[in-house]
Amino acid sequence: MSDNVIAVMIGISTALGAFGLFALIWGIKTGQFDDQEKFLDGAKFDGEEELRDAIMMEQKKKEALKRKKEKNYKPMD
Amino acid sequence: MAKVPCTHCHLEFDESVMIKKEENGKTLYFCCKGCEGVYELLNSKGLDSFYEKLGKNKLEPANINFDDLEKFDSEGFYKKYVRVNKDGFNEINLIIEGIHCSACVWLNEKVLHQTDGIIEAVINYSNNKAKVVWDPDIIKLSKIIETIRAIGYNAFAYDPKLQEEKAIKLRNEYYTRILVGVFATMNIMWIAIAQYTGYFTGMEKNHKNILNIAEFVLATPTLFYSGWIFFRGAYFGLKNRFVNMDLLVSVGALLAYLYSIWAMVTMQGEVYFDSVTMIITFVLVGKYLEILSKKKAVDTLDKIIGSTPTEVNVKNKGLTAVEAVEIGDIIEVKPGEKIVIDGILTKGSALFDLSVLTGESEPVLLKEGDEVISGSIVIDSAVEYRATKSANDSMLHQITELLSDAVTKKPKIEQLANQISGYFSVIILLIAAMTFLGWYFIVGSGFEKALIVSISVIVIACPCALGLATPMATLVGISRLAKDGILFKEASKIETMAKATTLAIDKTGTITVGKPLVVNFKKFKDFDINLLYSLVKNSNHPISKGILNYLKEHFSNLKKVELKDFKEIQAKGVVARYEGQFLLGGNLKLLKDSDIKFDIKSQNSLYIFAINNEVVAYFELNDIIKPNAKEFISQIKKLGLKVVMLTGDNQNTAQKIANEVGISEVKANLLPQDKASYIDKLHKNKEIVVMIGDGINDSIALAKSDIAIAMGSGADIALEVSDVVLINNKLSSLQEAFVISKRVFKTIKQNLGFSLLYNATVIPLAVLGYINPLFAALSMSLSSLVVVGNSFRIYNAKVKNER
Repeated sequence: MSDNVIAVMIGISTALGAFGLFALIWGIKTGQFDDQEKFLDGAKFDGEEELRDAIMMEQKKKEALKRKKEKNYKPMD
Repeated sequence: MAKVPCTHCHLEFDESVMIKKEENGKTLYFCCKGCEGVYELLNSKGLDSFYEKLGKNKLEPANINFDDLEKFDSEGFYKKYVRVNKDGFNEINLIIEGIHCSACVWLNEKVLHQTDGIIEAVINYSNNKAKVVWDPDIIKLSKIIETIRAIGYNAFAYDPKLQEEKAIKLRNEYYTRILVGVFATMNIMWIAIAQYTGYFTGMEKNHKNILNIAEFVLATPTLFYSGWIFFRGAYFGLKNRFVNMDLLVSVGALLAYLYSIWAMVTMQGEVYFDSVTMIITFVLVGKYLEILSKKKAVDTLDKIIGSTPTEVNVKNKGLTAVEAVEIGDIIEVKPGEKIVIDGILTKGSALFDLSVLTGESEPVLLKEGDEVISGSIVIDSAVEYRATKSANDSMLHQITELLSDAVTKKPKIEQLANQISGYFSVIILLIAAMTFLGWYFIVGSGFEKALIVSISVIVIACPCALGLATPMATLVGISRLAKDGILFKEASKIETMAKATTLAIDKTGTITVGKPLVVNFKKFKDFDINLLYSLVKNSNHPISKGILNYLKEHFSNLKKVELKDFKEIQAKGVVARYEGQFLLGGNLKLLKDSDIKFDIKSQNSLYIFAINNEVVAYFELNDIIKPNAKEFISQIKKLGLKVVMLTGDNQNTAQKIANEVGISEVKANLLPQDKASYIDKLHKNKEIVVMIGDGINDSIALAKSDIAIAMGSGADIALEVSDVVLINNKLSSLQEAFVISKRVFKTIKQNLGFSLLYNATVIPLAVLGYINPLFAALSMSLSSLVVVGNSFRIYNAKVKNER
């Protein structure tokens, strides 16, 4: 086996693993694993309706932020 | 009559008492108005799929009677609990009460999501803590709480800044660092296998070089990111002139790392990157486990503090923050409310639940002029009392204060262990340094040889056998005990247990069963037993329950009859009517009030049953002693321990039970903090105290004692502060705990002796240069195996006098 092949194999496999590792760390940092039981129980209530709910919540937040901006917006004289 | 489940909460009741409703051809049953209201609300919002998700789970009946909503909008409450987040919305952390299953979490989230003005609502499935973000322009906090209550749950606010945020942040930090370490270790392992094979069978220089570089790439983040904690610990240690284990770990790992880089660059010798990552990762995992256990204790603490009212109703002042209440203020409390400030009753009398403080399950009747202590709960009527202490001096505050101290403080045994390993580390580092200097200057062997020899010294002495000696033996001991239903929460506690000199025992629920049982039953005249059955069934009093159990055991075909005018008379008994007959059941005081002449003397609690003012039967009830309590006490005494009984009960009862089981020292009439100060007194006499208890009233004393043991059936908080939990509630397993921990201690001594002997022989060899790093690592592993093997013998050790 040539040196290059070994180097490339180790490099790629380590990089792939590292990619997974970073994804996991990102999940921890954003608090996705704070709740152990959600893994099991949360899956039971995961469907189309919940997705729609999540979108509704996002829109609600956007609207609320917009309202806030409008309220604080003071036209210049 | 047939029992049917409530459509909302699924609890089963007799069909006759249920609220019936017809809907779409189906008959619905509700156990109360609250449940009915929730069901209708859910149906109208289209959330009835909740019941599908709920499955066979049962809920608590919905409570709809709250009238403290205004407190949630008060300024004091806002200041304490509500924060403004970066988008300018309000944010609060709540603990939701009444969640039984995941469907409850789903329902709460769903309803909150559908409420206008709520921006975010996340509920944790495991600990029922919720974070709610809302727009204060649209919705008020009280409205949010009302929404949660409307669907049958309740919510308390809590301050996450207290402990939780810190604990979670720390936990996540460790977790991330461990992940990096584990990832690197796993990958380095398979590269190292190639390296080892190459070492014995030969391998091309170029290939070896590539593998070296790959290991270097993996070891670098592990050492500097995961191992940062050790560098930091070592730095703080040095700054305070203190050498600790962290220093040895970081110096060992850093030296091996630097040498490996040198070996990699010069392409000479072996690299030790695998040792670097393994040392760091394994030690880090050990530290992480310690943090996990702390986080759980914090959760419970939050629950207690959260359920404490923040405001009280002061007469003529209205709602006042607890901190602002002055001594002498008159405070009004309603039934079901918790007392937060100590004081003296000025108006009315009521039954108080003192179980938090005394552990005794029977409610106590307090009258005007009696002292009320914070932590107790008013059960049946509204009263007024005068504050005699400020909130911070009151009992409840002191209890929570003591508990949070106990949770956050480090045990002294741990500090001692660190100190010893610290000395060891210093000595090893000095020996390694001297070895290097000796080989370099005196022998003149050159830099590489000198460095390799000194690294061999560090690796071979890397206090593995020494470090494993204690944890391995305790670990095996712990799993052996766990198999038999005895759970140790902290490994180091086994050692303390083996050295214990005094055993302090709580009475109720520990030596005794904790529930009154019928010990004597006498019938004067034949009567319909179903009348008595229905009478006791209507009451929740422990005595009534004791009789109910007795009737169920001794009579068959019991039927409940419909009683009229059922009335409970405080601390005396119950009366009711049935088809013209006047039924009465209670103690002597009740008979005297009804002018019934009956005289009997007994040391036990009495329950007399009379029909139309004629006594037909009486029961004597007693809290019986657990079956093998006496034998247990004598076994413990044989092990050389002093036994003391601490109880909140009165002197007579306590003495009687103590005599029966053979305890000579009894301390009665103790309040929770008296128990704790008694433990302190024992400490001053240099006693090592083991305390067994089960109630919240024991929790301070439990926290103060060297080893706290809780019965598995005990209160949550008692379980939290305890170091040992007896799942099967058997006193005999406690005896086993003592025997096994003594055995563990013996094994620890053997292990330490061996590893010291090992170090004494191999370190000189390593210093003299007879051992190269690879064999150093090998012999280090072998020595660890010896320690592990010796420890495993505990697993099959026999407990003498086993029943």
